[in-house]
Parts: sequence; structure tokens; C-alpha cells
Amino acid sequence: MKKSLCEWDQRPHPRPCSQIFSAIGTGQIQESGTIATRRSSMEEHFTPEPVQTSPKCTSEDRGSPPALEALAMVSLDAGRMLMEAGASARSVQGIVEMVARGLGAERVDLRIGYASMAITVRADETGLTRMCRVGDLGVNQRLIQQLWDLGGRVARHQLTAEQSRAELSRLASETPRHSRWVVALAVGMACAAFGRLLGVDWYGSGPVFLAATAGQFVRHELLRSHVNIFLCTAVVSFMSSVIGGLGARWAGSETFTNAMIASILLLVPGVPAVNAQSDILEGHPTLGSARAVTIAMTLIFIAAGLWVGKISLDQWR
Amino acid sequence: MNVASVLYQTTYGAIAAAGFGVLFNVGFRVLPWCAVSGAGALAVRSCCLEWGWNLEGASFAAALTVGAAVQLLRRYLDISDDVFEAIGCIPMVPGSFAAKAIIGLFALTTSAVVNETETLVTGAQYTLRVMFTTGAIGTGLVIPTLLLRMRAAR
Repeated sequence: MKKSLCEWDQRPHPRPCSQIFSAIGTGQIQESGTIATRRSSMEEHFTPEPVQTSPKCTSEDRGSPPALEALAMVSLDAGRMLMEAGASARSVQGIVEMVARGLGAERVDLRIGYASMAITVRADETGLTRMCRVGDLGVNQRLIQQLWDLGGRVARHQLTAEQSRAELSRLASETPRHSRWVVALAVGMACAAFGRLLGVDWYGSGPVFLAATAGQFVRHELLRSHVNIFLCTAVVSFMSSVIGGLGARWAGSETFTNAMIASILLLVPGVPAVNAQSDILEGHPTLGSARAVTIAMTLIFIAAGLWVGKISLDQWR
Repeated sequence: MNVASVLYQTTYGAIAAAGFGVLFNVGFRVLPWCAVSGAGALAVRSCCLEWGWNLEGASFAAALTVGAAVQLLRRYLDISDDVFEAIGCIPMVPGSFAAKAIIGLFALTTSAVVNETETLVTGAQYTLRVMFTTGAIGTGLVIPTLLLRMRAAR
């Protein structure tokens, strides 16, 4: 990882890779993960700079213009938020370029990874590279929509870099979300509808609704408690399949196996599956493959929970 | 063609897409469009299945239709295409096949396997159907975007 990122930026840097990446674990990536270049004085890059002890490096440390620094960081933050909201690589690339060019960049090069992003912006013969860590990936379509709108406003030069940064902070904290009860009931309804599509009879549909609603509520609480996402998936899969299967059997359903499966469909990573496909087909095979591996692992944990639930119900008979 | 079956699939596809729209934090104003997107996808898929297509081909045609419709309507609705494309196709993602496939493969690892060959073949069939159906959905969604991008680049 460390080596490949340094190799990706083919130009010689004034700072060694080890120093650039030392900040990853300290949460100072955005300030210290910097590779700045000046085309006019390439020779100076071959002279190592003295190592700085402070983890925070300002743009003046590199000699890069402050405007370019702000431009790169705002663009990168927009891209990070989009990734974390479940956007495809095409959307991330499009909006980041809109923001960067709207703020004055002449050229934008973006590397989108599953766990990190890097951007190189160039303007007035000066280039600047920044990278940041991408957090847990979820799906938040309202945030994606608002970031699209923000990108459009920046592209029309309606916002400065500072205003864009403030707007990004506002969106991160103020984008409305549905209440957890509304989400849980909607998910229960969706899984019951899925159950009908899978052939679950009416006796089994009620238990599917209850199982999926309870499963979504428990998933929300577990994720809020920072439980590992795969562990959470297995626990919810087990719990929902047992509730759905037991309920369907108690209600007299003849399709209780299908009811068990329908109860855990809330866990199937549909949006990442579609994104993985489109990322690979649109020229982002690394990101698409990473998404695909995560999907495969998620499916294994779903099936493990369902399998244990099925064995438990079979024993209980 | 069995119209009742198509209507049945369309109705439940719309409910499923809208429900997942709430999970993905789609606003209430946009939610009806998610339902329309999911209903459209399942209507096309059901029609193709009624005409004798296999599941993979029908899913490809449905995803292609949703992708093209989203690209055509995007400029009028001013909504990011991620919303419709992904959520419209969610009801077609073969989650139940994936679960059955992995459970079948799990079953092979137990000490007392009954009908090993049948279990293996069934598990492999489900796995291949998951792979091909997911591939068909992804490809169908991307093709309209790529075609429009080529047109814009000319």
C-alpha cells in the first residue's frame, strides 16, 4: 500500500514516503500526507529536506500556494463524503472534478481507493497532491444528491473554497435522516414484499415483516455501538431468520424456509453490488474488486447466520 | 401473457424499492420515483420471463431499460442517477439465490452429507445464477451511461 501510492505519484517528492504515511495512524493524513512539486525547480526535489518533527504541515511548509491547498482539501473532502455515502466511482470522479475546476484547478487527477483517496491538482505551473482516509462505507442517497447540488454551485463559481468547506461541514452534520423506527418499518415492509416475490404465503408474510423490522432495529443499534460490520451481519441474520422461521411455522405457513430467507434480505448489499459492477466496467477495477470482495464476505456472514438459524430451528422441531 | 402475474410482480417490486429507498435515506419527495423505478424494472423482467427468456436475460433487459430511462429523465428531474439506477434494480438482486448457494456449499462440509452430488450441483447452479444475474444487472445499467458518454465526447 505504502509503496504503491508513492509509485503512483511518479515524480520525486521532497519528503520520504515513510514520513508521508506515518500520519495515517494518527488521523493527521489531511494535513501531513502531502507531496508538493514545482515544475520550475525540479532539482530541489532531489535534495532531501530536513525531517520535521511536527505532525502538522501547512501549505507554507511546501511552498505551495494556500489557494491550491484549500482547493485540494475541499475537493478531497467532497470525494470522501461521496464515497462514504455509497456513490459510484463515476459520481465521485465527476463531482470532485466539478468542485476542483470550479475552484480554479486547471488539471485534476484523482485516485479512488476503497479505504483512501488521493488527488493531484495543478494550476499556474504548480501542482499539489493530497490524500485522505475513507471511513466506513454506507448508503445515504440524500447526501449524494446534496453533494451533486453543491458540486453544481461550485462549478458555476457561486462559492469560494472557504464557503464550500463550510457547506460541506453543514451537509455532513445537518443532512436529515429518517428516524430509525420509520427505517425499520420500511425495511420490514420491503422484506415482506420480497417474501411475496419469493413465493412466501400470506401466513408467512407477517412474521417476515416482524423479523425484518426487528433485524433492522438491532442492526442500527449494533452499528451505533461500533460492533464490527460482519459480526453485526451474522448476528442479525441469525436473529431475523429464527424470528421469521419460528413465526411462519407458528402461523401455519407452508413456506417457512422462504420466510427465513426473506427475513434476512435487508442485509444483502445491493447498492455495493451494483457499484462494484459499474466501477469495474467503467475503468476502476481496483475499487470494484475491493467492493466485490467485501460483498462476498458479507454474503458468507449472512449465510452463516442463516445456516445456524436453520439448524437451530431444525433441532427445535 | 399473464397480466395478473406481471401486475403482482410490479406491485411488490414497487413496495420493495420504496422500502429500500427509505433505508438508503432517500427523501420522501423522491421516494415515489424509486417505487416507479423498481416497478418498471420488475415489469420488464416479468414480461421477458413470460415471453420465455431466462432470468439472466430478463434481468439484463430490465436493467438496460432502467438505466436508459434514468439517463433520459435525469436532466428533467434534476436527481442524481445513483438513486434510481441502484434502487430500481435492488428488487432484482438475487439475494435469496446467493443465500441458498452458500448454504448449499456449507452443507457439503458437514460430516453426514446426504446426496452429495445433488447438493453440489444445486449449490453450483445457484452460484452461477447469482454471478450471471448480478453481472447482467451491472452491465445493463452501465451500457446507457457509456453510450451517452461516447456521444458527449464526439
